[in-house]
Order: sequence, then C-alpha cells, then structure tokens
Amino acid sequence: MLKLFEHNTLNVDDISAEQTAVEVRNLNLWFGNKHVLNDISMRIPKNKITALIGQSGCGKSTLISCFNRLNDLYDGCKYNGEIIIDGRNINSRKINVSRLRTNVGMVFQRPNPFPMSIYENVCYGLKLQGVKVRRHLDDAVESALKQAALWDEVKDRLFESAHVLSGGQQQRLVIARALALKPDILLLDEPTSALDPLTTLFIEELMDSLKKQCTIIIVTHNMQQASRVSDYTAFFHQGRLIEYADSDTLFTMPEKKQTEDYITGRYG
Amino acid sequence: MRQVALNTHISGTFNIELENLRNSVLTMGGEVEQQLVDTLKAVKHNHAALAEKVVLNDLKINSMEIQIDEECLRIIAKRHPTASDLRLIMTISKAITDIERMGDEIERIAKLVTRNKLPSSDTIKSSMLLIGERVAAMMRGTFDAFARQDEAAALEVYDQDNRIDSEYKRLLSYTTSEMQKSTEDMQDWLDVLWAMRSLERIGDRCKNVCEYVIYLTRGTDVRHTPLENMQQKLEDLT
Amino acid sequence: MLSRQSFGLNAVQRQSFVISLTAFFTSLLLIALVSVLILIGMRGMAYFWPEPIYMVTGKQPDGSAFTVFANVFEDPSGGDVRLKYSDSQTPYGSQKQLAEDQVESLDLIPESAEIKFQDGRRVLAIPEYIVVPSKPAQGLEKINAVMDEVALITAQIEELNTQKLAPIHEALSQFDKRRVDEEAPAREKLVASFTEYQKRVEALEATRAEYKLWVMFADKSAFVIPMSDVQSVDIVSRLSTFEKWKVVFSEIGVFLSDSPKQANTSGGVFPALFGTVLMVFLMTIIVTPFGVLAAIYLSEYAPHSALTTTIRVSVSNMAGVPSIVYGVFGLGFFVYTLGGSIDELLFSDALPSPTMGSPGIFWAALTMAILTLPVVIVATEEGLRRVPEGLKTGSYALGATKFETIVRTVLPIASPGIMTGVILAIARAAGEVAPLMLVGAVKFAPALPIDGEFPYLHLDRQFMHLGVLIYDGAFHSQTDGKSASMMFAACLLLLIVVFILNILAVLLRARLRKRYITG
Repeated sequence: MLKLFEHNTLNVDDISAEQTAVEVRNLNLWFGNKHVLNDISMRIPKNKITALIGQSGCGKSTLISCFNRLNDLYDGCKYNGEIIIDGRNINSRKINVSRLRTNVGMVFQRPNPFPMSIYENVCYGLKLQGVKVRRHLDDAVESALKQAALWDEVKDRLFESAHVLSGGQQQRLVIARALALKPDILLLDEPTSALDPLTTLFIEELMDSLKKQCTIIIVTHNMQQASRVSDYTAFFHQGRLIEYADSDTLFTMPEKKQTEDYITGRYG
Repeated sequence: MRQVALNTHISGTFNIELENLRNSVLTMGGEVEQQLVDTLKAVKHNHAALAEKVVLNDLKINSMEIQIDEECLRIIAKRHPTASDLRLIMTISKAITDIERMGDEIERIAKLVTRNKLPSSDTIKSSMLLIGERVAAMMRGTFDAFARQDEAAALEVYDQDNRIDSEYKRLLSYTTSEMQKSTEDMQDWLDVLWAMRSLERIGDRCKNVCEYVIYLTRGTDVRHTPLENMQQKLEDLT
Repeated sequence: MLSRQSFGLNAVQRQSFVISLTAFFTSLLLIALVSVLILIGMRGMAYFWPEPIYMVTGKQPDGSAFTVFANVFEDPSGGDVRLKYSDSQTPYGSQKQLAEDQVESLDLIPESAEIKFQDGRRVLAIPEYIVVPSKPAQGLEKINAVMDEVALITAQIEELNTQKLAPIHEALSQFDKRRVDEEAPAREKLVASFTEYQKRVEALEATRAEYKLWVMFADKSAFVIPMSDVQSVDIVSRLSTFEKWKVVFSEIGVFLSDSPKQANTSGGVFPALFGTVLMVFLMTIIVTPFGVLAAIYLSEYAPHSALTTTIRVSVSNMAGVPSIVYGVFGLGFFVYTLGGSIDELLFSDALPSPTMGSPGIFWAALTMAILTLPVVIVATEEGLRRVPEGLKTGSYALGATKFETIVRTVLPIASPGIMTGVILAIARAAGEVAPLMLVGAVKFAPALPIDGEFPYLHLDRQFMHLGVLIYDGAFHSQTDGKSASMMFAACLLLLIVVFILNILAVLLRARLRKRYITG
C-alpha cells in the first residue's frame, strides 16, 4: 500500500541499546528527606529531541541535572540507581565529572553569558580544557557560532561584551558555548521561557537542526513547545514518570488519564 | 489574490510537513482523476477488466484519505496551526472527504461496467460519456485551482456545474422516456440511473472543493450561496 | 492623641515642613563638611603664603620697650596680636603674644626681607649688602648671581667629597681591615692624595665662607649671615602677586620634597609623605590576598554551619575594635614576640640590638592590615554574594571545577566589590595614627625605608607618617604659629593623599564594573 508520509519515530519500547543516548535505570533522588525522583527508568534515543513535561516541582529539571551531575552542587542531594551514558554508569564515583560535563552540555532558563566578550564566552570551555592555540580557538568559535545560527549576527563584533546581545541571541550564544565542546548530549532546561514567541521559534528551529549532531533533552513548561519540537515526550508527575512515548502518540492518543488531563489543560 | 505561503515558517520541518500534506492531496486528486478517466474509457469500450482495476484501486484512495486525515490530526496536535495554516489543514481535511466520495461515485460507475449492465442505447451511453468528459474537465480544473490556490479558477470551475446539471436533467428525461419503452429491465435501469446520478454528484463534490479553495484563500465561507451572490460577496471583499 | 490635622497644617504644608526639616539637617551637614575643607585648605595654604613684615614697637608686659621686625597675626578670638619676630637676641625667630594696647606702632617696612636658611631657620631683617671676596661690597640686586656663585662652590666641594675623598676613605678603611702596614707606600700615597684633596676642600670652604650677607634688625644692630646658609631672600613687600605665587609654589616644592627641619616646625614633609604612601602600599599588598582568600573560603567553601556564622559575625565585629587595641597587639605580638623570634633565628649576630624586634614599617603595615582585614573581608564577601548563581552553574556545566569557576568567573565579577573593600581599607589605613605610633611611626626618622643600599627596601626601619607629624605639630602649635600652619599644611596634604588614593580606586572600580557588568 502507498505510504504518503514518512515518520520514522520508533515506539519507545523498541529503542535498542545502540540507539540509546541515555539510559536511566531505577533512579531515585532525594533532597534532604524529600523524595524528588521516584524510580525513574527510561531510554532516551540518540539524535532525537526528547521533551520532559510536567508541573513545576515534578522533578523534570532535577532529572536532567542528573545527566551532568549538576545536582552534586547542592548539599543534601542523595541518589541511587544508574544512568548509563556511552556504556558507563555516570552515577559511579569513578566518573570524571568535568569530562562528563563537557560531553553533556547544558543550557539554562535564563541566558547566562559570562560578562566577557562573545569570543571569550564561546572559548570558555575550550580554555578550561587547555586549548591555547589561537587558530584552533578561532575555528571552534566560528563553527560553534555557525551551528548556533549566530555567526552572521555577531561575526563583526566578536570582541564586544556578550551583554550587548538580545535575549534570544544570548541564549543562542549560550548554546554555542556548549556546542564548542562538541557534546554528544545537550540538556536544555526551559531554554525559551524567558524569550518572546518568535525568538522561541528560532531557538526551536535551531534545536531541530542540531539533532543531527547531538541528542537533545529539553525540559519545558510549554506543552505546545514540547509537541512542536520533540520526537519523544515524557510526562512527569510528583517525581514519577507517568508516560513516555513518541510525541505523535502522546499528544494525540495518550494512554494515561493523568497525561490526557495535563496536556488538555484539565489538570488539578 | 492571496496565496497561503506554505514554506515561510521559521520551522523548516513545519514547512516540509505542510508541503507534503498539500502534495499528498494533489496525489490523491490525480489518482481520482485517473480513476474517472479509466472508468470513462471502460464505459466507452465496455472494458470490464479496466473497470475491475478501477474498483480495486478505490481501496488505495480510501487508505489515502485515512493517511491524510491522520497527518492533519498529527499536525494540529503538534504544530497548533493558526490562521491560514489552520484553514489549510481544515480545508484539506474536508476536501479529502469529498475527494474520497468522488472515488466512491466513480467506483459505482465502474461497477456498472463490471456487472455488464451498461445501457444498450448508444444515445444514453454517449450522453453519459459527454457528461463524464465534462466532469473530468471540471475535476481537473478543481485540483488545478486547489494546487494554485486560484480562487478565480475555482469560481470558473464552480460555474461549470450548471451545465453539467442541465445536461444531466436532459439525459434523465431522455432516459425516463427510454425506460417507459422497456419496463421489464427496471432493475438494470435503476443501476444506470444511479450511475448517471453519480456523475452528477462528482460535479457537486468538485463544487464543494472549489468552495473550500475560496475559503482557504479568502477565509470567507461561500457554501450555500447562489453564484451571483457569491461573486458579489467576493467583490465586496476585494 | 495626636491627630493628623494637628498643628493646623494641611497636607501640603505638612509635607513642605518635613522637606524643610530634612533639608535643614542636610545643609548643616554640608556646612560642616565645607567648613572643614575651607579651614584645612585656607590654613594649609596660608603656610605657603609670604606674610608682609612690619616693624613693631611696643611695650613688653614687664614694661620694657622693644622694636622688632615681625609677621603680625590678629588673634581671631580677641584683641590680642601674635607676633612672629626676629631681633638681635633671637635672630632666628620667636613668638610673642601682646594685648592690643601694648603695641605702639605698626609700620610696613618695604625693604625688609624674609631670609630662609638651608636648615629651615629664618630671619626677618633688612638686608644691607653682600660681602664678596676680593671685591667691594655688592648691592642686593646682585644677590641671585652671588647665590649662584656660592652654589657653584658648594657643588665643587660636594664633588670633591663624593668623587675623590669618599673612595680614598673607603680604600683606607680597606687597608685598615687588611692590616696593611702604616708605612706601606701605597697607603702613604693614598694618604698624601687624601690630604691634598682635603686641602682643596678646605680652601674652597674658606672662599665660600667669605661670601656674607649683612642684614640689619629693627634696633639697627647688624647681623652677618654666611651666604652658603641662605636658601632664599624674599623682600616680601616688593613682591608682585605673581611673584608671591612663585614663592608659594617653590615653598610647596620644598614642602613636598624636603625633610622636616627645626624639630618638625619647618622644611618639608617628604619622608612623612613617603612613609605614609609606602605603609599604605605595603598594607594593601598584605591585606588584599588575605582578605580575599578568607572571604572566598567563607562564602564559597565553608559549610553552612553555626561555626561559619560565628566567624562571619566576629569578623564584622573586628571592624569596630578601637584601633589602639590593634596597636598594642602589633607591639606585643608582632614586634616583641614575632620580631624577637625572627631576630633570634635570623639576625642572632646583631643581638642584643634588635633588627626586626623593634617597631618598623613592616610591623606597622602588618598591624594596619589586621586592622583593615574585616573591611576587606566584608566587602569582598558582599561582592561574591552578588555573583549570579546562574553564572556559576553555567561555568560548572561547561566542565569547570569549583576552583576554575572561582578564578575565571566569580573573582572577575566580584572584583568591583573587592576594590570597594580595598578602597575602604586604604582610606582607613591612611588616616590611622594611634596604632602606628606604637609599631613604627616616629616623629623623625633619619633614613627613608627605601634607599640605594641593599636590600633597598628596609622593612625593619622606622618611618615618618603624615598623621603622626600632624599629631606632633599639634603640640608645637602653642609655641610656634608658623608650625601650626605647617600642621594644617600637612593635614591638607594628608587629605589630598587619601583623596587621590580613593579617586584612583574608584576609577579602577568603575572600569571593572563596566567590564564585568552582569544582568
């Protein structure tokens, strides 16, 4: 039979180990006595955009902060279970956290460029790694800014302060800063919640173009955004993974009533 | 004339999805058009095998309708289309129903051939073929107007239905007089009448699609409006 | 009960009353500030202004008559007149307080002059003529040429002393050390040349001594001044305003570059200025890293425990401890205990005379560093707290360790805060006097803490300080009006120094703030 439309998103249960970028196994996390993540298990596919949605405080931001061990910064954070990236359990003590964080880039809600020049911002991570050769830095800055679709706008003012940029440009700069390290995984923690709708669409389009080179995991409060950009969507509620499916299915035929209620705005 | 620009969204994927959707509708339309042409050929030459193929092919058109419908649903769910995008999706969603029905009507005519129940009268047959040609031309014009989102063309095609209707009426009265001559084959006559009626219905459905095209480009609903009023309505808007 | 309609004022009147009241107190504050500046500025500048010279005749309180040349100061508090005068008994000046009725006449003497000496003394008298060797007496108009001649001779003497005599002396002492025989030919040769140069010096000095300035006091008695002692002769009443300003500027030059003379009542304040700036500089070098590192630990690394809070509170409280306590601490701990131990360990061959075990500039700087440490810590912590959490997280997310994050992101952004702390520390340290007097600042120090002698920076030396000089001057002001002015001049200078240091720091801070603007 003739097939008119090609949508090659696999069912989440059919994602094989090779197609998995991050595998979470029975992850539990506590802040002090608060059980923030409750027995999460999921496979996040490579080179796809996976959106995590849910109410504030449902643990979705905490979950992506587990993928680069950023939760280690907070006192009283305990966790168990396994997170497998590149065949290694990153919750293990033997993991070099700095190296993990260069491989798993992260972009935050508010654009947070450093108070330096645009160039210095993009170089930050590379310089930490000890890259000193000017030519290599130049090349890396150019390619990162091009990937972040910012090059044409800033190429003439690379050495001006990053704070002269608009909010959307700053957020793309922050993305470029992460891309300069050539990460396999890019974590976006509500990357557009501080931006206007049109800029948001630009960032979304950027994500779409970036999924060729890295796996993108995005936390968002905006269900429309999740449905627009993501290939897979996971719905969290009070620290539990309620439903995880390809976005086409989840936004047209969710299995669980909780999910249905949330995405149709019947919540609470 | 206003065109719905499909490929100017920030999201490249959305552009591609809309383009694919539109093309799939045109593919489906082309397919139905081919069915009609094949059917007319089968009627003309009493070609049962060709008619059989048409009947089988209708399944393909049905599946296309379902796929396009699903894609529309998916796009609405994921992209939250607004304004012209929303009209496009709604138009397509409705138009494919009409197109699928056209397929069904064609299938009915083709079945006439497969069951070998074509009228023996050459006059009726040639009149049917004549109306069939008219309908085929109208259908072509409709899909063209849709493809180009050309409301002027749509309006012109819309107009053609009147002639088809009058010819249909003439053929109907002629056929009734023929029927009185040979009342014993009443069951077969009924099938012929149904087939003629189907041809006429295809024209009506083309009219519907033309209305959708005007709705798509104008955002004005012109259904159930006499043609003169419709033209007036459109002129008021421009 | 006081209702809102009390005093019969409507809302607008009430508001304008409140505004007037607050504005009144603000203007009081402004007046206080401005009068401090004006007083210090006027009195300070007056020190440099040449005063006219009068011939004053009058009666002493004991009834005897007197006639003197004097600068006359009207006492602002009453009808008294203060004289700073010179006469044949006290040629180098003295002071007298007279009631108004004791003054019989007050005449401006146009030809009288203020003669300043190289050693800071001065004489008020009428210059008569100049005696020059092998020539008739010269008129006063030749004074500049004569002074140049004398300066030339002085330069020759200096040259002979430093270029010829000093090396020979050095060589001779080497011989002494090596126990070279008294009659050794080399030695004899040296002694001979030494004697010869010495004779030349003596001859030059004799010639120079023949240049003399004859002056006359008010009682017509003559007085002879060797020209070599004269620094300048200003016939005050004949100077135009422009020339007076020239005198003022040369006085300021002397004030800034010369050493104090006549027990800090005359001359310049260069050693004190130098000592102040050097001490503050050393203090800044010590306190900045200490304070910044401590603040980084407290704000970034220390666990959020009761102990940390206690430490933070005590650091803030340390800022309120009276400064003299730090002085006593510096003397007792740094100078005696720490310095004494260092002497025993490193400079034991110099004992019992102390090297580090006595008050000195290093201990003073260290004491001031301890004193200003809380200021720096508190300001730095404040600066560190202002660094947005998002930037730190952003840095961690790029693979930076905590240390890298602090060095590359936190410190640059906190630098304006750190600068604020350092500014406050500098301002405080430059103005402190009490603790310094215990740990190394003295009224008069014979040598600067920096000179050409190894190790160039002598941290163990005592030093002079503008604040101490002012304090010292305040005790002289009762007896010498002019040096009271010098106290004001030193005060003005101290104000300017603190002001300049602050301005520099503020500019630097503004630059940093602009560069590391956040948000």
